[in-house]
Amino acid sequence: MTGSDTVIATHGLRKAYGSLRAVDGIDLDVRAGDVYGFLGANGSGKTTTVRMLLGLVLPTAGTVEVLGRPIPKAAREVLPQVGALIEHPAAYGHLSAAANLSLFDAAGPGGVRRTRRSRIAEVLEQVGLGGVGKRPVRGFSLGMRQRLGLAGALLRRPALLVLDEPTNGLDPQGIHEIRTLLLDLNRTGTTVFLSSHLLAEIEQLATRVGVLDRGRMVLQDDLATLTAPTGATVVDTPQAERARAVLGDRVLSADGDRLVVRGAEPAEVNAVLVGAGVPVSGLTLQRPTLEEVVLAAATGSGDRVAA
Amino acid sequence: MIAVELRKLFRRPRTWITIALLNSLPVLVAVLLKLTDLAPRPGEGPAFLSAVLTNGTLFPLAALAIVLPLFLPIAVAVVAGDAVAGEAQGGTLRYLLARPAGRTRLLVAKLVAVIAFVLVTVVIVAAVGYLVGTTLFEVQSVGATTALSGSTLTPEQVAWRTVLSIGYVTISMLGVAAFALFFSTLTDSPQLATLGALAVLIGSSLLFTLDAASDIAPYLPTRYWLSFVDFFRDPILWRDVVRGLGLQAVYVVVLLGAAWANFTTKDIAS
Amino acid sequence: MVRRGWRWAVVALGLAVLVALPALVAALPADDRDLSAAELRAQVVASEDVAFSGYAISTGGLVLPVSDALTGVADLLSDQTALRAWYRDADDWRVDVVTATGETGTHRDASGTWTWDYADQRASRGDDPPLALPSAPDLLPSALGRRLLSEATDAELTRIAPARVAGVDAVGLRYTPADAAASVSAVDVWVDPGTGLPLRVVVRSADTDVPALDTRFLDLDLSAPAASTTDFSPPADSDITRDQDLRDLDLGRQERADLPSALAGLARRTFDGVPDQVGAYGSGITVLAVSALPGRAAGSLRDQLSRTPGAVVDDLGVRIAAGPLSLMVAGTSTRDGGSGTYLLAGTVTLDALAAAARQIQEAGR
Repeated sequence: MTGSDTVIATHGLRKAYGSLRAVDGIDLDVRAGDVYGFLGANGSGKTTTVRMLLGLVLPTAGTVEVLGRPIPKAAREVLPQVGALIEHPAAYGHLSAAANLSLFDAAGPGGVRRTRRSRIAEVLEQVGLGGVGKRPVRGFSLGMRQRLGLAGALLRRPALLVLDEPTNGLDPQGIHEIRTLLLDLNRTGTTVFLSSHLLAEIEQLATRVGVLDRGRMVLQDDLATLTAPTGATVVDTPQAERARAVLGDRVLSADGDRLVVRGAEPAEVNAVLVGAGVPVSGLTLQRPTLEEVVLAAATGSGDRVAA
Repeated sequence: MIAVELRKLFRRPRTWITIALLNSLPVLVAVLLKLTDLAPRPGEGPAFLSAVLTNGTLFPLAALAIVLPLFLPIAVAVVAGDAVAGEAQGGTLRYLLARPAGRTRLLVAKLVAVIAFVLVTVVIVAAVGYLVGTTLFEVQSVGATTALSGSTLTPEQVAWRTVLSIGYVTISMLGVAAFALFFSTLTDSPQLATLGALAVLIGSSLLFTLDAASDIAPYLPTRYWLSFVDFFRDPILWRDVVRGLGLQAVYVVVLLGAAWANFTTKDIAS
Repeated sequence: MVRRGWRWAVVALGLAVLVALPALVAALPADDRDLSAAELRAQVVASEDVAFSGYAISTGGLVLPVSDALTGVADLLSDQTALRAWYRDADDWRVDVVTATGETGTHRDASGTWTWDYADQRASRGDDPPLALPSAPDLLPSALGRRLLSEATDAELTRIAPARVAGVDAVGLRYTPADAAASVSAVDVWVDPGTGLPLRVVVRSADTDVPALDTRFLDLDLSAPAASTTDFSPPADSDITRDQDLRDLDLGRQERADLPSALAGLARRTFDGVPDQVGAYGSGITVLAVSALPGRAAGSLRDQLSRTPGAVVDDLGVRIAAGPLSLMVAGTSTRDGGSGTYLLAGTVTLDALAAAARQIQEAGR
């Protein structure tokens, strides 16, 4: 089942705290080259899952394989090839960004000492902290810390990036920078596992999406499949009544001046309406938004407590 | 990993502030002694303090005896209690473990760093004590240091036995360090871990004075702390020193084992 | 899925082994030897030339009512005393009382003793007086066992179970004094069967389970220590004084030396150098010392004793007991030229003390 191009695979992954099942039988399937968007409301079990992938939390049941090797058993061989940003970034406040990265790199296997200095300079440049110098991290803004955390994740040119809310605390300009950086990395072969509660972020970055709802995986597919055309066309017309009359039972729904019409060929729908003398102000092939897909699959907000 | 922990510890300003504070008490005592000339009677007050006025080279030992009962173990408990819980509180623990640092390795590296801290601290206390002692008090050029047994020790003997004392005091602190380290794996609050270790320390010191607890006295972590004095008997009384070393070893093995059993199976949720 | 329990099991098992180890070693049975009580006593008495060095702990179970006078003796008999000993022969040994931050050493040579006190930075010289208060070297199991068994008769001795003392399988001997006046119910001595050296001595009194005194070696090395270890020369800057002993005490001006030849069934004995005012009675572990007291000292001591809980005050005087030790200030009034006040002290029962006081009064009449 685990092919050579499978980067993360979990089987029946479960984590229970007492009677509470924080994560309940998850089968993740992340393939090489994916930008995998792991979407879920707060408290849906995202963070627990990410921590299980990295060997921080030990599963109650089920297995985790990362880069084809079991976690936590083979953590020492696997994790050096994984860069991670886990919830908030963290660093030693009294040290500079470079000193922090140097310590972090030396703390585990796979950080070649000879290239450490140049790698640090490179990633700091990459995340936009090239000019930060010897300032202690204590004085960094939230966004700078986030960039530093990302630099730490990139330090060893990982094959897999596991990022939990990576744009947290960044301004729009920063978010754009990071997005571009991640897409660049992905283009050069890095698999990105992106955990977020921000639909828009996932929609803009991900090629594959998994949706978590109250510890259960409710959806996992390619984004292109999820948002594939529905076989209907959306028509905007100032004369909705006449258009309905012309199209008859092809009209699936109507909302003011907007009609949803069966038929995957907007040109054909246009020809019918124009032929009947109905003016058309807009025509698009209907695609569901990710939001619609997620809302249809998930039951509600994770932090909402039902009466 | 060990090198990383050492770099972390000794690049931290707090480490040096702690050491500086630790040295302030013996220095204050030395200055007061110099100003008042009122040394305690031999056998009263901290060990060796009585002899300091006439022989400044004994002040390193007096300085150790001054910081040994409270200051030094507090410093050790602070540093060791911070070891794991401090990383957890700061959020760096999850990054270290995902790096992956290896939980057992991290624990051992933390212990080694704490030992290094104790050794550096004790050596600095002794060195500052020597500087202060030889500056403020008389130094006897001829070998005329009197051992507890009334015989005379040469300066070489005094130096050698001082080195032994430094080593012994360092090892004496390992029990406290192991307690703090174990507690440090139980909680995400370094203060709580430190307080836990101090509670053990105070409990042990209290029980040691209690006749009713004499049956468990040989097993108290503080039982053999003062035995470094035995290096200055003639001949050296090894009995309590050996027992002290063995006792600290048992505490380190058991508590490090417990810390390992807890830490390697713990969910890192911080 | 990770099995978590085994790590804790390993730790718990290791802890259990470490905790149980001392108890297991202590529980190993000690070997006995086929020796009669009389043979064993003979060995002990002859062990004066056995050289050794060792570390001993003496635990006194007595609460002595003396507060200011005689505190040194009181500490020895009520506290735990750690002793380091080096013994070459009867006239060449050293015993250190070890405390946490100091020590007091007694060095014996052919002509006397040096006593070094670290706390006072004082060395004092003494010349082995015939009658002296108990001091730390007397508590060493080897010295105490020899002394207590030296006057025991074979009829008073029985064999008891062996015990492991300082790593030696020591054979046991019990001395039960036959005197009716005795307040010590038994003395248990464990002896190294190879050399006859007493390794542990337990003095028991009838009224309590807590031994009045329990002294034993924890470490013992039967090779002869170096002469340089037992030697002593006072450090250059120390005070040097001369020991005081009981002969220097002011025992009053009374010239009355006509103490009875026996008291409470115990015969009087004489020692060279002991002044006539002091009478020593009894043998072995049952001894009684009687001395006339100068008036002022008698008054304050009587006050102190009568305030002690459990003191018996009657027309004979004031008497108290602390374990097997008993003390009495006898004679409540001084007539013209009549009997003075006497101090009676020893290891006899309170009844025996009262009988002795009555006999002294009658003799003085």
